[in-house]
Amino acid sequence: MTPERPIIYLDNGATSWPKPDVVGAAMVHALDFGGNPGRGAHTMALATSRAIFEERRRIASFLGVSDPRNLLFQPGATQASNLVLRGFLRPGDRVIVCSTEHNSVTRPLHHLAQSGVIVDVAPVDDWGIVDVESVEGLLSERPTAAIVCQHASNLSGAIQPIADLADIARGAGARLIVDGAQAGGHIPVDLDKLGVDAWCCSGHKGLLGPQGIGVLYLRPGFDVEPLIFGGTGSGGPDATEQPYLRPDSYEAGTQALPLILGLGAAIGVLTEKGVEFQRHEQSLARRLHEGLLSIPTISVLGPVPGAPRVPLVSIVSSAIPSDQIAYELDRRWGIASRAGLHCAPAAHRALGTERTGAVRFGVGPLNTEEHIDTVLEAVSTLVAEPR
Amino acid sequence: MTRRLQRYVVFGFPSTHDAISAESALKSAGIAVTAIPRPVSVGGADCGIAMRVAPADDERARHVLTECSIPIAVSAEIDDL
Repeated sequence: MTPERPIIYLDNGATSWPKPDVVGAAMVHALDFGGNPGRGAHTMALATSRAIFEERRRIASFLGVSDPRNLLFQPGATQASNLVLRGFLRPGDRVIVCSTEHNSVTRPLHHLAQSGVIVDVAPVDDWGIVDVESVEGLLSERPTAAIVCQHASNLSGAIQPIADLADIARGAGARLIVDGAQAGGHIPVDLDKLGVDAWCCSGHKGLLGPQGIGVLYLRPGFDVEPLIFGGTGSGGPDATEQPYLRPDSYEAGTQALPLILGLGAAIGVLTEKGVEFQRHEQSLARRLHEGLLSIPTISVLGPVPGAPRVPLVSIVSSAIPSDQIAYELDRRWGIASRAGLHCAPAAHRALGTERTGAVRFGVGPLNTEEHIDTVLEAVSTLVAEPR
Repeated sequence: MTRRLQRYVVFGFPSTHDAISAESALKSAGIAVTAIPRPVSVGGADCGIAMRVAPADDERARHVLTECSIPIAVSAEIDDL
């Protein structure tokens, strides 16, 4: 959509906007494909199969996955998380989860807990970073099937010590399942080396793709029960059982070709410019962070300026409720931010903001210094107004 | 005009991804390969896309697929147009 007035879009933590032009072009181009990928070997069907193959290969390469078969297309991070958690955990299994998780993790775990999965919560520090020693302590108490942790917080922006968690998980015989929704595209990700067993990511946030597509990485040998059963284009005449091979096991049903091509096009842009984008986003996020800290009544959640974080900055004001800040920013300055609990009430509880909520600014590659300065001026104006 | 049957080697694969991966690898190796619907007579629990090569390329094709860790679900010689 083209906004009716100029928009300063700083809600990239929810979904990135605008998308690179090639994303829409690729999605439209996908409509020219007549065949169903994996179903049939006529010219058009083969073209769709080849297109998906190439995009899987490109996206896998970008994320450091050497064998693209381990990189699975999913409708989003939430479905990927559901697939892994519900496909792996069984009644009696114990899981340790970081206290600042998104609902995409906490809700399936809550559901699983009702059927006998034991969920223990690991605390975070004041910046929202999980306490690795506490996780080690919890691991020593009893056998654990999995540690579940976000790669980066959608509230504080904190980047979690995933490599450390991978080490201690491996030592304890537990799996490490990671929600990468806020990390993908914003920080370098090398999945084969990172040591995770599963990594779930939406395609429409930092990966700059369209909504409705995401990816799931499953380490070789980490096989979970599929969530969706059905046609895969593979399997013999007697194979009523879903084939247990990747990627087919986890991709039943016709593939979302326009979305996959759109995501692939976005990854093409990131492959070329991702490092530049990340540097730009970090610079703007720091400018925003430091500027906000200088405004009376404003406190910023998460790590201090200069400490590692993904490019999102969440604030609380002691003078104005978060929802009013977001509303006024939108109404008067055309600034898109996100107020509330950010689908992460657990994270707000952990950081002590469950009663206030927060206003989150998510920086994207197409934001500018002028955008940031306008936000700072607007927030300064708002907090100075008599109430 | 009468077209004569020729002998080919057909490879079937566990998944579409493997089949297309095989096509890509064989082409990169300079082997003439044609993607075809998997002949029912070939059987096997595999996907519906098969790769057809000349018998003379059979051994080299198998070597390429092995090197690329692409599993062959089934293979057979067929007579095809």
